[in-house]
Amino acid sequence: MEVKMSPIVRKSAKLVSPFLVTYGAYLIVHGHINPGGGFQGGVILAVSVILLITSHGYTLIEKKFSITMVQVLESASLLSLILVAVSGLAAGFFFYNYLRGGVPGTLFSGGTVVWLNILIGFEVGAAFTLLFYVLLRGAESD
Amino acid sequence: MIPLLVALPLLFAFLTLLLNAFRVRDGLRRALFVLGILSPWPIFAASISQLPVSTVVGGWERISGIEVALNDYNYYFVLGELIVFSLVGLYSVGYFGAERTAGHPERDFTSPYIFSLLLLLHGGILGAFVSSDLFNFYVYMELASLSSIVLVACSREPGSRRAAYRYLMLYLLSSFFFIFAIGIIYVKTGYLNLHLIQQNLVPSQEVHMAVALMAVSLMTKAGIFPLHFWLPGAHSKADTPVSAVLSGIVVKVPLYGMILLLSYLHLEFMKNPLLVIAFSSMFFGIAMALLQDDAKKLLAYHTVSQMGFVLLGVATLDVDAAIFYAFAHALFKSGLFLGVGVLVSAQNTKSLDLLSYRGDKMVMAAIIFLSLAIGGISPFIGAFCKQQLLSNLHGFGVYLFYMAGVGTLVSFIKLNYKVLQPTKEALSLPALEKIIAAALAALTLIFGIYFYPQLDHRDIILILLAVALFFALRHVGLFRRQIPRFFEPTVRDLGREINLYTGVYVLVNLAVLFQLLY
Repeated sequence: MEVKMSPIVRKSAKLVSPFLVTYGAYLIVHGHINPGGGFQGGVILAVSVILLITSHGYTLIEKKFSITMVQVLESASLLSLILVAVSGLAAGFFFYNYLRGGVPGTLFSGGTVVWLNILIGFEVGAAFTLLFYVLLRGAESD
Repeated sequence: MIPLLVALPLLFAFLTLLLNAFRVRDGLRRALFVLGILSPWPIFAASISQLPVSTVVGGWERISGIEVALNDYNYYFVLGELIVFSLVGLYSVGYFGAERTAGHPERDFTSPYIFSLLLLLHGGILGAFVSSDLFNFYVYMELASLSSIVLVACSREPGSRRAAYRYLMLYLLSSFFFIFAIGIIYVKTGYLNLHLIQQNLVPSQEVHMAVALMAVSLMTKAGIFPLHFWLPGAHSKADTPVSAVLSGIVVKVPLYGMILLLSYLHLEFMKNPLLVIAFSSMFFGIAMALLQDDAKKLLAYHTVSQMGFVLLGVATLDVDAAIFYAFAHALFKSGLFLGVGVLVSAQNTKSLDLLSYRGDKMVMAAIIFLSLAIGGISPFIGAFCKQQLLSNLHGFGVYLFYMAGVGTLVSFIKLNYKVLQPTKEALSLPALEKIIAAALAALTLIFGIYFYPQLDHRDIILILLAVALFFALRHVGLFRRQIPRFFEPTVRDLGREINLYTGVYVLVNLAVLFQLLY
């Protein structure tokens, strides 16, 4: 089931997806002061890959972002998320924010929340990409 | 300590999935799986000396944290879960082995994930049992049931996807109502922790409505009679170890929720509707089981019936009776599924007319023991539980209860009578799987003697009555009767089916809510 879109679609998908990555990264990093956050940003990261898959086809994109890499990224970010949460135990509570500081409302005031947001972003992005891969793989074998 | 009870299986689920990404050898994955299944045992063993224990995860205050506890309510649930899951885990290491991956390994997407899913199910069920927080209970119940839905869909049986879809739809429907009701409780009390809810709860019409909605949702998830549609399909189409876990443990999670409702919130106002539902579920399950020709479907309909027995404990406001019946049912029903499953995979059929355990004494003994246990015959564990349930009934209820007991016996006499037929070729059954089924049979006897060490002479009368009734029904020709099919196996009819079930769900909800207006 290899769909090859027209050059216009392929070119514009290539042009749009870097901006999507930037937007997703912005949403993730500013998660603690703006609307948005890890999940929303992660979905947009996944969309940037899914856009390329739909325009360029599964096989080409799978070479760049291999399914093993996506699986490892997904698992690794989840594992680090748990590690950050557990490291809070050393300071008192599970999930305790022991890096608090800075002026509230600015970018560097989140403490561990920023790290959690970033890891959630990677986790969600990788998980959605993986879902899309698995569904496509099922469709191709039919 | 107690959070680890849940965290360890989840961690191992994650690790088996990670090994999958690195394409690690099959043997190591299996070893990790068994380790993950057995990992909660040391923590459980260390905690039982200081019961009841409760901690708030991560050292937070009770108001802001999530409380987990191991107390009189969930001790037997956790014990039953660990026993059944450990045995089923060992069983599934052999079951999901060569025979599944042979054939088309490149097209086999499901096998690598089954072990992770089973571990997720393990962690989810344990999490639901230990949490004393309404929302946390909901989340873990969801985790357990979503993994079990995927496990049902992984089965190779034709029609398993359809059963999983039906399961998923009814499950989601009842989950929405459950979370809505939790929201109402939160608005009325300001807490999700059950102890704090209990302290701050002022009974009112809204709270009653929320509890009624929760009860109906939990009954749907437990597969109790008017809302049982998803259960027989899902439990009979799944792979044998999955069926054993589904019928043995997964349906206990919503029933544990009912016990939480009864002991922390008020359920007394729903006593009469619950009694009616419990008795109708008991009889409906038996009636449908008597008509079945499919061995696993017969057992699945008995789950509908037995869940009615557990609900009877809740309806008579006797928490202990419900807890012990749930524990007993976990042991004997998973044993029956495994025992019959050994025969099903060896003889490659599920039809009662073709299955046979003649020629293998161990499986024969196991199935007969477990049938006696489910029928409530006295040295076995069923007798103790039936005695407890009976002590709360009086008048007409006692007769109905005995009738249900005899009905169960008739159905299991039918199962054993049909399976007793001689085989054409000699049986060769895998040793480990036989031993596991026999171990569960032995456990029902051991726990029965431990709880209730006496023989009841009235059981002989019950057995004789059941045998007479069985031959009478056989003479009438009841067992040769075909059940008419209402729905064709098409997508359009699947939609119709789901619509009908949703309608029934809404009607039951309305009936229970209107009852509250008086």
